[in-house]
Amino acid sequence: MFKDLDPLLHNQLRLSIISLLIGVESAEFNFLLEKTGATRGNLSVQINKLKEASYIDVKKGFRNNYPLTTCKITPVGIDAFEKYVEAISGYLRKED
Amino acid sequence: MNTMTEKESLRIIHEMIATSKGNLKDNSFFYLLWGWLVLIASLSHFILEQFKYDQPYLVWPLLMGTGAVVSVIAGIRIGKKAKVVTLVDRSIMYLWWSFLVVIMIVLLMASLQKISWVGSNVLIMSMYGLGTFVSGGLLKFKPLMIGGIAAWILALVALFVDPSWVMLLIAASIIIAYLVPGYMLKSKEVK
Repeated sequence: MFKDLDPLLHNQLRLSIISLLIGVESAEFNFLLEKTGATRGNLSVQINKLKEASYIDVKKGFRNNYPLTTCKITPVGIDAFEKYVEAISGYLRKED
Repeated sequence: MNTMTEKESLRIIHEMIATSKGNLKDNSFFYLLWGWLVLIASLSHFILEQFKYDQPYLVWPLLMGTGAVVSVIAGIRIGKKAKVVTLVDRSIMYLWWSFLVVIMIVLLMASLQKISWVGSNVLIMSMYGLGTFVSGGLLKFKPLMIGGIAAWILALVALFVDPSWVMLLIAASIIIAYLVPGYMLKSKEVK
């Protein structure tokens, strides 16, 4: 049924991450953790998958000696998100 | 995990976009800090002048210097705490940095007597009207936009009144452009 939907985005957590990043310049790992309510492990895994697909840019650094991960959506990611939203809207129209 | 319906997908998208946008940051601190400092400075200047004190303008470098130091420290702290940066945050930051640079240039021109002090006051009032109006527009916060317009009107008024009254006009404009919207912004953040 959902064969046209991007499997990378058709997943609750990954879709949440991309939706959060679409409206901001950049967001820290902890911001994503707080807003998605996911576990650290699961969030890391999903962030890596999005990174491997070049949907997001991940920067690792330090702040006050603590590791700091910052994520940013890429043009590829924005494009994929727009296509996904279009496809979803298409399904909703068919239902009506 | 992959059994989301399209309605669920849309709900997630809406929810997440709503949580990340419109995070009104704690910007009120800067409006209140500068609002009170400029209010105290302009009123002291006015009062000292009435008592025929020689150098009433000395309150300015003193209070503005304090404000600059406190702002830099607070800015770094707030920046470190911010877990997310939006385009609006960045635009506002660049706006006020440019504001600072232009104010310095105006003050330098006035000290070198290239422009009069009244002229520099009118320019500075117009400039903070600009900063407040643009910030208000970016934050979609009307009181700041109205404050900015009020600062411009009072800047124009300053051109036509006796120079000794200019300090009172600065005091009035800082109340309308900084303090009132600053307190409104603060009460909005608490909610």
